[in-house]
Amino acid sequence: MHLRPRLPASVRAVRHLVADLGMGLLALVMFSAVTFAAALAPAGVGLAVMPALASWTRRLASRQRRRVAAFLGTPAAERYQPIEGALPLRVRAVLSDPATYRDFVWLLVHGVAGTAAGYLALALPLFAVNALTVPLWWRAVPGTSLLGYPVDSWPSALSGIAVGLGYALLALVVPVPLARLSARLSGLLLRPPRQARLAVVNAARAAALEAHEQELKRIERDLHDETQNRLVGVLMNLGMLERSLAEAPEHTRRLAERAHEAASDALTHLRRVVRTIHPPVLTERGLDGAIAALAASSPVPCAVAVDDVPRLPAAVETAAYFAVAEALTNLAKHSGAGSAHVRLRTEGAVLVVEVEDDGRGGAQVRPGGGLAGIDRRVAAFSGRTMLTSPPGGPTVVRVEVPCGL
Amino acid sequence: MRVVIAEDDALLREGLSMLLASEGVEVAAAVDNAADLLDAMDGHAPDALLVDVRLPPGFRDEGLRAAVEARTRVPGLPVLVLSSYVEDSSAAELLQDGAGGVGYLLKQRVGKVGEFVEALRRVAAGGTVIDPEVIAQLLVRRRANDPLHRLTPREREVLGLMAEGRSNAGIAERLVISDGAVNKYIRNIFSKLDLPPSESGHRRVLAVLAYLKG
Repeated sequence: MHLRPRLPASVRAVRHLVADLGMGLLALVMFSAVTFAAALAPAGVGLAVMPALASWTRRLASRQRRRVAAFLGTPAAERYQPIEGALPLRVRAVLSDPATYRDFVWLLVHGVAGTAAGYLALALPLFAVNALTVPLWWRAVPGTSLLGYPVDSWPSALSGIAVGLGYALLALVVPVPLARLSARLSGLLLRPPRQARLAVVNAARAAALEAHEQELKRIERDLHDETQNRLVGVLMNLGMLERSLAEAPEHTRRLAERAHEAASDALTHLRRVVRTIHPPVLTERGLDGAIAALAASSPVPCAVAVDDVPRLPAAVETAAYFAVAEALTNLAKHSGAGSAHVRLRTEGAVLVVEVEDDGRGGAQVRPGGGLAGIDRRVAAFSGRTMLTSPPGGPTVVRVEVPCGL
Repeated sequence: MRVVIAEDDALLREGLSMLLASEGVEVAAAVDNAADLLDAMDGHAPDALLVDVRLPPGFRDEGLRAAVEARTRVPGLPVLVLSSYVEDSSAAELLQDGAGGVGYLLKQRVGKVGEFVEALRRVAAGGTVIDPEVIAQLLVRRRANDPLHRLTPREREVLGLMAEGRSNAGIAERLVISDGAVNKYIRNIFSKLDLPPSESGHRRVLAVLAYLKG
């Protein structure tokens, strides 16, 4: 058994459990206070102190959430109704918040289990020290039940060493799973209900998409307005250089020309890259405008219906834009369709894009093909792509992208 | 020729002024935003405007908007719009009034100094200069029921070069054919697009416009 590597983990677990012990005792005090107040509730006084008790409980529970999150390395999610306003409002906020009752259950469970676990974590090393040292001092108190059995002879005193080693082993091995168990129990009891958790996740998602959008726009702006302008400046100077080199030797002029071509290529390449990051037309015209522009330039006549789609995160709009562009290109190449329809709408927090054509049908998703490309792009936003294409048509490409609204 | 420049990037603005001055074009004013452009236009009565599409404060298409506004104030005022990227819809919007004197080029075209100044002069003279990249976009994406489908590939090629602002002689040189052949293609294009005979400059603009609108 490798005891040495276990030591830091055990120390960390013991520390956590000792803090659990403190929290457990506080929880027991709070539990008693809340129970007492609840018993006095009919008298009115009990109700009046509820908001104060609840906010103390919340502070205790919040602290425990952060400790559990830090110990387990998981995110701490928390959701409370704010306790604000006049006293009756505060009382109602406390009583109507399901979190109040969850916290109350936690107070009791942790008050008992957390205290017990913390006590065990503290006691085991002390038992070990006690048993190991019995041979040194048993003669001061002969015949006393020092090890759970009377110690009245040297053999029984020396058996303390074995008992002590046993306790020491337990003190080393037990705290880690015990601390984890205690943390998981608290985590489970203090976790906001599923609905609230989803709201937290969605909010985080929307914030991430928003940040991503700002980032995309910044990159696009930087590339177009800064990087490109610098390169255009280089080109302009090279152009003027070329003009003044009219009399120079052929060799010199060709060098300038080559530099010019290289800078020009760099610009063309840069423009293409920027386009795939975030097409400028999206910034200028919005998603519906950009899709209308795509439809207008589609070789197959294409009607667009946009149902009240709000401004969405740029990354989502970009994904939708490229999905439509790819679908239109694809159907123009393969479907033999005479007309196409693009429909955009939001269903809840999901953007739904449908591209339908009246072509011959029988379309399939081929690896490396356009549809696979769409799927890869929208999958990055937990979206999905569905293809319906019976022989004889019609073919419908349906793309769903959660938009974190 | 006197021009007013609107470009928000200081280095490019100065570079353009220097470049044009060295090519014998007088720069009446060089400003960095749309409002100043319209003021300068009123004050200096230039022969043409040279405008960056993206200008402060929004850096979206303020320059394009200002160019359109300038042409409603002074109908037919020649405008050459420069952009970091091109969209065929923007080109069509500029040409909408059918008055000609419109240019729409990628910024990087200023590097070919001779061609760029030539394009500016052509725009100032009422011609139409559309970036080859816009033309390329249009060739990739054409409607099925397009009247342009009546054109032969060669006629479409000629129309594309017309949109780039090339003269008949320029087109003849580029396609290595005679001036007479170019004239014949252009007559065919006009008749297939149902453009009635009138002064030929105006018809050229209309043909290009039809081409851009699809």
